[in-house]
Amino acid sequence: MSTPLYPFYEPAELLDEGALDLHDLARHCQRNTDWVVERVQTGVLYCENEPPGEATAPQAQWRFSSHMLVRARRIAHLEHSFDADPQLAALTADLIEEVQMLRRKLQALQH
Amino acid sequence: MEYKDYYRILAVDRQASADEIKKAYRKLARKYHPDISKEADASQRMAEINEANAVLSDPEKRAAYDALADAPRRSAGAGGFQPPPDWEGQDFHFRSGDGAMPDGDADFSEFFSQMFGQGARARHAGGGQHRPPPDLRGQDQHASIELDLLDSYHGAQRSLHLRSTVLDEDGRPVARDKELQVSIPKGVREGQMIRLAGQGGQDLGKGPAGDLLLQVHLRHDPRWWAEGKDVYQPIALAPWEAALGGTVRLATIAGEFDVGIPAGSRAGRKLRIKGKGLPAATPGDLYLVLGISLPEPQTDAQRKAYEALAQAFPSFDARQQGTGQGASR
Repeated sequence: MSTPLYPFYEPAELLDEGALDLHDLARHCQRNTDWVVERVQTGVLYCENEPPGEATAPQAQWRFSSHMLVRARRIAHLEHSFDADPQLAALTADLIEEVQMLRRKLQALQH
Repeated sequence: MEYKDYYRILAVDRQASADEIKKAYRKLARKYHPDISKEADASQRMAEINEANAVLSDPEKRAAYDALADAPRRSAGAGGFQPPPDWEGQDFHFRSGDGAMPDGDADFSEFFSQMFGQGARARHAGGGQHRPPPDLRGQDQHASIELDLLDSYHGAQRSLHLRSTVLDEDGRPVARDKELQVSIPKGVREGQMIRLAGQGGQDLGKGPAGDLLLQVHLRHDPRWWAEGKDVYQPIALAPWEAALGGTVRLATIAGEFDVGIPAGSRAGRKLRIKGKGLPAATPGDLYLVLGISLPEPQTDAQRKAYEALAQAFPSFDARQQGTGQGASR
């Protein structure tokens, strides 16, 4: 068998808005769907186009972005590492997200 | 295989109580949390700390680990640490769901995998006295990738070198290096994820492999930056271009454009070029952030030109006007 002249480029999927459903989000953060549902209902995590803590759409229609996956993994880690209450983990995640956003703005200002 | 001293990693002694281990773990988890820590090796240290905690916080695993430490070492030359012969008989419960770490043991060492993780599971799956492993889906693997903003505009191709632990024919974990050629889709933004289906970990049965998830980080570039789908680029104007306005040819991240500069533009003013931000179903916008570059007078004629300017604006008070930079972002 001859060696291909060009490498095979793996197809990569950008997880843009609405890319993840409830099962995807649970699977990618190594949690079960009940864990996600509870945190959506209490505003710790939120679906796209739904205000935090006020998801009215059926669960089958819930959609999440990459950002929510990063947040869900962060909250799962905080809950596990510190036995943190989900709301405390969410508060910590809020602060981490704000610090990261401010650091990016500061970096841009220092151009 | 390198022996891991979990007590040293958590900085506790062997007699430490469960509570002391928990406190030591939390203290280190806070120090090396990858989101906060400024330590260069924070991610690696965090993985070590998680691994040590996964063993020492579980009484069953801790007892087995202590017994392992007490057993005569079979550490041998180039092969490093070898488990004692009767280690095959160890049995552990592997939790899943809410009790597990978010990443399972995907980031743990070969030592952990051999003693407590996939390797242990594989040995228990073999030998006939246990059922064959279920065909579970493999674990997802997470990594980050650093890109330039231009890569997001045009798409890119990257070669990724990944190291993972897989099981050999005898069910023993071995480190495997993998090289993946990846097409980076256009329009990726800071913090987004790229999913490569089936390129993650493989479980013991015949289930499908997990996915590889790459979190995107955009390199800092003083020439331009992105906020969501919108892109900002500082553009310098001559004082007369800003004052008088006109059309100027500008080289931007999205290509060259003739841009109309409104008369009386101040530093910090933003001009929007619609739809020339990052590619998307509804593309972002490109904002040109105006700055004014003052030429330094070198000749008598140039100095006189500034003097004439001053005379033409006798009542202009720059201190009252401000720099205009306050509105730049």
